[in-house]
Amino acid sequence: MVLFSLFLVMMILLSLSMGYIHIPMMDIVNILYGKISSNQTILENTSATHLAVIFDVRLPRILTCAVVGAALAVSGGLFQGILLNPLADPYTLGVSAGAAFGASIAILLNLSAAYVSVPAFAFTGACTTLFVVIFLSYSSKNPMSGLSSNNLILSGIIVAAILSAGISFLKFIANEQVSVIIFWLMGSFASKTWFDFIAVMIFLIIGLFISMFFARDLNLISLGAKSATSLGVDLKKVTIILLITGSMMAAICVSVSGIIGFVGLLVPHTIRFITGPDNRKLLPLSMIAGAFLLLFADTITRAVLPHEIPIGVLTALTGGPVFCWIFKKNRFK
Amino acid sequence: MKLNIDNISFAYDQDYIIQNINCSFVSGNFYSIIGPNGSGKTTLLDLISGFLNPCNGNITIDETKVLSLSKKDISKKIALVSQDYAINFPFRVKDAVMMGRHPYIPRFSHPSENDLEKVDRVMKTCGISHLSDRKINELSGGERQRCVFARALCQDTPILLLDEAFSNMDINHTLQMLRLVKRSVREENKLVISVFHDLNIASTWSDVLLMLKKGEITAFGNSQDVLTQQTIKDVFDVSSIVEFNEHAKAKQVYYPSI
Repeated sequence: MVLFSLFLVMMILLSLSMGYIHIPMMDIVNILYGKISSNQTILENTSATHLAVIFDVRLPRILTCAVVGAALAVSGGLFQGILLNPLADPYTLGVSAGAAFGASIAILLNLSAAYVSVPAFAFTGACTTLFVVIFLSYSSKNPMSGLSSNNLILSGIIVAAILSAGISFLKFIANEQVSVIIFWLMGSFASKTWFDFIAVMIFLIIGLFISMFFARDLNLISLGAKSATSLGVDLKKVTIILLITGSMMAAICVSVSGIIGFVGLLVPHTIRFITGPDNRKLLPLSMIAGAFLLLFADTITRAVLPHEIPIGVLTALTGGPVFCWIFKKNRFK
Repeated sequence: MKLNIDNISFAYDQDYIIQNINCSFVSGNFYSIIGPNGSGKTTLLDLISGFLNPCNGNITIDETKVLSLSKKDISKKIALVSQDYAINFPFRVKDAVMMGRHPYIPRFSHPSENDLEKVDRVMKTCGISHLSDRKINELSGGERQRCVFARALCQDTPILLLDEAFSNMDINHTLQMLRLVKRSVREENKLVISVFHDLNIASTWSDVLLMLKKGEITAFGNSQDVLTQQTIKDVFDVSSIVEFNEHAKAKQVYYPSI
């Protein structure tokens, strides 16, 4: 845990120094120290460009990226726990499709002039989808089948399929705006602001707290509905609370940065090999690892590659092979 | 402690699985439920443990309605060893057994000395100490069932429900676990209700037999009185010979070979 946090801090510093303008590591540490301790003499001694680059451009983007990675990983861990399925990810319930649909409508209606409307529409779309999916799979009579993992996954897939068709239709009638929609869907952290960071951060903090509050109950859910209930877990309540928590975290991430796949699936799965299945350890460590992975990918696309490619593509390209290796190795142990 | 079932019925849709059942269970007795497949044995246990809500009727423990209690309070009174003992994630055996202490450990805190000691002792009596660090989903069916059994004992409840809890254990372990259960009934005044398919084991070990057929009670009483050729014919539709056996010190059932 401490080791991973240290890696993350180092990654943030390294990422700050890299980019179109290279800023030496010492300067960054100095500037950050000066800002935190409000030491004016240090801040005056550094160049205004460096200050602006760090505080207005890089730091918001890097921090947003880190919290999005963190929130997606925690959300993925939650979904894998609730749905008892290591293949579940934050988008299993169709949250991403809902967000994409909302965003496409906003783009199509050309609402993006009013700054927040695309993320706001995406968020509304994601929430609506979530409640439709929960409504579809809910049954008050039979606790064995109501909100069971099969029902949830199936409802998620059905709703997502309808929405995907809707998105295709929107693209079809969008004409010249189609590229805007496509690029939004691929996800990016370019020109993220402090506002984005704070929005995701709030969701992450609340989400992590709720997840940790119910982490032990989540462990017990893996024993099956009957055993979990007999051990004092209020299954229906815990399932709904955690589904909403996980989906809200995913929804805010999608709204801010577009659809970034793979982090939510891969990180908790990989971390489970290290920590074991205990969610009290798995979730916090996944959070840090998720932040690290996404930041790593974003730094590469931003600072190393000659041309910025969509972050979603890069996470899959960098994380995928690592995942394959870990997966294969653990198979034979 | 007295567990009272007052005229309960249960149905998923139209067809009743449990119909107008009335009976009471008293501490210090070992009850067995026997009956053919689909006769509502497991459903009855689910209703008692509060997992399912009856369509009508009440279940009370010492005059308190089970449904009025929170899940956590029920879990301090009733432990259940269910048939689905599959575990989806690779927890270690000692962590899985520790889950039995869940109702007693406050949120965000670690197990106390008492919890650790309890888990340790139960694992020893169930003979699974040597499996402590193994992953539970890599164990055999019988071993896993013993872990689930240990988990239920750790729950430390006055009422213990066993749903074919011994179905995958070898005869040695079955007898060990049964002795353990019997001792806790005699010495700690526990109330045990167990579903069995083996009529001879049910007869040998339990004080009271409850026979279920199509969701209704066909016989309820002292094991040695209830088990007769006629009741077995009525409930299971098989002919048999029932006679007292010196070694088992109970009635045993024999079936014709053709």
